[in-house]
Amino acid sequence: MSEPKDFIAGVDSDQRRSPTRVVFVTRRTSAQVKVTHEDEVQTFPEVLFRAALIIELLAVVLVVFSLLFNAPLEGIADASHTPNPAKAPWYFLGLQELLHYFPPVVAGVLVPTLLILALVVIPYFDVNIEATGLFLVHRQKRLRIFYVAAVSLLLFLMLFHVYVAVVPTVIVAIAIVIAANSTLESPHRFRRYLASKPLAYWIMTWFLFELIVLTAVGTFFRGPGWSWVLPWRS
Amino acid sequence: MPVQEYGIVERLRGSRVWRSVFRSGTGTSTLHRSLAVQQNIFLHLFATKVRKRMIRFNVTWFLGTLTLGTFFILVITGVLLMLYYHPSVPQAYADMKDLQFVVSSGLFLRNLHRWSAQAMVFLVFAHMFKVFYRGAYRTPREFNWVIGVVLLIITLLLSYTGYLLPWDQLAFWAITVGSNLSSTVPLIGNKIHFLLLGGNQVNANALLRFYVLHCVVLPLAAIIFIAVHFWRIRKDGGLYVQQSEPKMKAVDDAALATTEVK
Amino acid sequence: MQSLRKSISSVWRALFGDPVRAFGVVSLLLLAVLAIAPAKEHFSEWHSYQNRYLSLIRDRGDAVSLRRRFQPGIQQVWLPQLGVVDRCATCHEGLTEASLADVHAQPFRQHPSIPHKLDEFGCVICHRGQGAATTVAEAHQSERAGEEPILPARYIESGCGQCHQNALTGTPHLNQGRVMLARYGCVRCHTAKLPDGSTVVATDDPPSLMHVADKTTRAWIYSWLKDPQAYASTATMPNYKLSNSDASDISAFLVSSSTPRVGDTAAVEVKFTAPADPAVGATLYGESFCASCHAVQNAAGNIVGGNVGPELTRVGNKAKPEWMRAWLENPRSYNSTTLMPHYRFTPQQVTIMAGFLEAKLDSDYGTNVHLDAATPQQIAHGKKLTAELGCAACHEINGVKKPENFAPDLSRIGSKALAQIVFLPGMEHSLPRYISSKIQQPRAFGPGLKMPQFTLTTAQTSDLTNALLALTDRSHTMPDMLRVAAVRDTNYQPAGHAGKLMADLACFSCHRINGRGGDMAPDLTFEGSSVQRQWLDDFLKNPNTLRPSLIRRMPRLNLTDGDRKELTDYMLAVYQSPAIDQDSEPLTTNTPAVVEHGRQLFYSRYACQSCHIVDPKTDKGYIGPTLTAVGSRLTPAWIYAWLKNPQALRPGAIEPNQNVSDEDARAMTAFLMTQKGASKQVAKR
Repeated sequence: MSEPKDFIAGVDSDQRRSPTRVVFVTRRTSAQVKVTHEDEVQTFPEVLFRAALIIELLAVVLVVFSLLFNAPLEGIADASHTPNPAKAPWYFLGLQELLHYFPPVVAGVLVPTLLILALVVIPYFDVNIEATGLFLVHRQKRLRIFYVAAVSLLLFLMLFHVYVAVVPTVIVAIAIVIAANSTLESPHRFRRYLASKPLAYWIMTWFLFELIVLTAVGTFFRGPGWSWVLPWRS
Repeated sequence: MPVQEYGIVERLRGSRVWRSVFRSGTGTSTLHRSLAVQQNIFLHLFATKVRKRMIRFNVTWFLGTLTLGTFFILVITGVLLMLYYHPSVPQAYADMKDLQFVVSSGLFLRNLHRWSAQAMVFLVFAHMFKVFYRGAYRTPREFNWVIGVVLLIITLLLSYTGYLLPWDQLAFWAITVGSNLSSTVPLIGNKIHFLLLGGNQVNANALLRFYVLHCVVLPLAAIIFIAVHFWRIRKDGGLYVQQSEPKMKAVDDAALATTEVK
Repeated sequence: MQSLRKSISSVWRALFGDPVRAFGVVSLLLLAVLAIAPAKEHFSEWHSYQNRYLSLIRDRGDAVSLRRRFQPGIQQVWLPQLGVVDRCATCHEGLTEASLADVHAQPFRQHPSIPHKLDEFGCVICHRGQGAATTVAEAHQSERAGEEPILPARYIESGCGQCHQNALTGTPHLNQGRVMLARYGCVRCHTAKLPDGSTVVATDDPPSLMHVADKTTRAWIYSWLKDPQAYASTATMPNYKLSNSDASDISAFLVSSSTPRVGDTAAVEVKFTAPADPAVGATLYGESFCASCHAVQNAAGNIVGGNVGPELTRVGNKAKPEWMRAWLENPRSYNSTTLMPHYRFTPQQVTIMAGFLEAKLDSDYGTNVHLDAATPQQIAHGKKLTAELGCAACHEINGVKKPENFAPDLSRIGSKALAQIVFLPGMEHSLPRYISSKIQQPRAFGPGLKMPQFTLTTAQTSDLTNALLALTDRSHTMPDMLRVAAVRDTNYQPAGHAGKLMADLACFSCHRINGRGGDMAPDLTFEGSSVQRQWLDDFLKNPNTLRPSLIRRMPRLNLTDGDRKELTDYMLAVYQSPAIDQDSEPLTTNTPAVVEHGRQLFYSRYACQSCHIVDPKTDKGYIGPTLTAVGSRLTPAWIYAWLKNPQALRPGAIEPNQNVSDEDARAMTAFLMTQKGASKQVAKR
């Protein structure tokens, strides 16, 4: 206990406004206070009533929707009459679309399992915590890696004839190329925005695009025998 | 002015009965309002105060709240639907017809349940992406993100198990297509498939199994995980505040060793 | 403008100024929206129909009693055994109200009288539709899996046919359709399983083609294949729409695969001479009552005669003279199972008859057919076609096996899901329409379909559709207690020499005995109890009809005395009813007083003359058989038993059971036994 203290302690004085805060600052670091004060409100009633309000508004919308549109009900289940196409619920149609291209064990087991694992590890993965723009450091090296990855992904998709998934991939790839050629000092706001985005952002955006496109295709553009149909020509 | 408007409410809140139920008592002081949250077993999941910026619509779009709202609606309509539903073949389908044609507002109930379920799946996805793009999954909220992923899976399973219950062609074949995927798992695929359906194909056993999952197991799991989810929001320091100044990225969160003392 | 904005914003603030107040306002809004659901219920379709019904009966004379029987709310028939939940009566309120007979506007029309109670079977079992529904569109037009739209009224008899496999008097179209299903050979290619596990058996008699070259020429086969109805408009053989070369190849194959038969060629040796007088042939044809079974198109174009055997209008074009002779001598030598009786014609008669028939020809028929000698390739192609088209499903052909499951199973065609049907463009999407179109224009449904073109009228198609629509899933799954079985032929076979004789004479083609045989002539199961020996012997020698109005009559089979005695002995000994004791009613010993009493009962009390003729001068009854000679035909025991209860002796007899007392029956029997007038005529002949 005789050793000199390695830190200094401070106490927030405004005790009426917020709970007492104690800060310990080590000598080796220089303290930088980012936000000195943050306005706060009481959970009750400010937050709770807002939440209740928004839930009620949602309820009104859903009730009106339910009054206007009836839930689908087909004929009684019959194992001997297979409807064509037999579709899963809409949120699984992205997977069913993949099932059209890949063997079931890939589209039905491997892809969902990997997706869930990927979602779980996102916050624990180092690259994601590094919240700086992807190409702001090691630009050349990272750009090379990106090109290799993007081209091999596209080749892979083409190999399995997954042209549906190619479109969002290309769009995101173009956006990444723009980001690589932009800096935070770029005159355009959009380019500044793109340049600031980390790797995790790009991967998630690609996933979101794929999810939307595959689900939409599976829901609206697939007919008998999983062939292409136009939804307005049913 | 407020006294006049809330006169009745205030008198009600002052009554003996009210005070016996709610421990916080009357009064609009900060203390009383804090107590209203602290002394309530359900509201205790929340912090007594939140940052003012977080209740602005733009920050969260209230997607988590809306998801909770759909869950409430689904529980209420679901319980009412259970009163009319028999998980047996072919009575399940006949019950759908009864709901549609004979039960008072039965069709409306089913519509509301169905559309709310669709809305919930959509909102869960939207909530997830919004949280991601806000960066709200970062330390110290990693685990709450994982709980969120678990809730996403529970939501999908709830919707999926509920899909079979009407026992119509749509239900039967959607579940058939979906459950067949499980049999592609290497080595134990057929076992999983059998366990899931209680048979080798979608039949009365599968209906009963899905009914129990849909009405008992999964809702309970959802409630538990929702509770943990909210509780962790409070424990992880409230809703995540995004940096308003994007240029100050160099600042590391870890550098600000400020902790809240409750 | 400024003030408007100001007031709007103040209202906004007053309503949504702080979360608590906004919460209250939105809560009210939510309650209001929720209240729409029950309100919507109140304006449902069935409510408005019930209100319309109430205003309909309000002004009627029996409004009070109608109002009392009216029940508000959902009306439901629930039959768990049948899986029926019918709510039709929710809107169709007046189904059982006899006083609403003059109301023709649906949904309030009265249901026509049927043998069943409406609430015992519900509506959808016969009418189809979705019984559980309470909206017009859902109840009548739903096409979802497991649901069927309402059946058009002209097919309603198919509903009866789901339970009733027997023929009902109220369902003529269904009965006719079922007969056609068997008679037109539909079930030779298609399988039609009935709910009791049996299959519909074909009743047509397609000839064997194993010796066809003995019978006819390749040119005739070719013409026939091209268009069977051009040869005989009543031909049941369908048109396969063959190309010239295909018809030529098939005819070549059939002729080349045919093997000669001893009995057929023997006749060639007989010198054939045409009779001098064609009227002799016509008389023999008439006396033999060939027209009972065979039809001929007369000069006016009308088809006259029965439809058991083939039409003979152009038989001279078809049959080779030598085959015709052999056939007339003994049809069973060419076809052992033919329905044709073996007439015992003398060689002279055979010559006359053959000449008469050979003269029945159309000199223009088949004149432009010129067939070159067939190459082996053509014959092989013909054989391939024969197998492909399923000719062997009906005909026996050398070298081609009878195909199995050749055409789609029709056992549950009446429940075929609309979603599984590929309709023709522009065609009405309904199952009856699909079935009748498939019958009427089978080849229109796609190239490569094999089903041939039948020649059926619209009414026949509709009847056939009725019979097919009765083959539903429900007919197979309903409880057994509801099924009414069809009357099926036994495989009764009379024994001994008499049995062989009866087979040779094809008695069963027309008569039914012990549950086997045709329905053209009287059932002979109890003939031994019914008739006197002398009359039977006379009748077999020279049959004359009992009912003058009938066209179809018993043919004269030219039996020898020995054969006749054999048959008479057998029938009198074997075909006895256990209910009739011949000794209880002696033939004689009736006093004139009793006879006179019987006469009075016959004429006044029971008014039998309204259907029967005893005295040809005064009586005008033509419905029942003439009784002028009944005393020498029937046994008194039979007459007595018949008078007591006609239906006990012959189920379905149309003579009413008048509950005649024992004394009355005895007196009338005595009177009828005195009616021996016609026996003199028989003796005269």
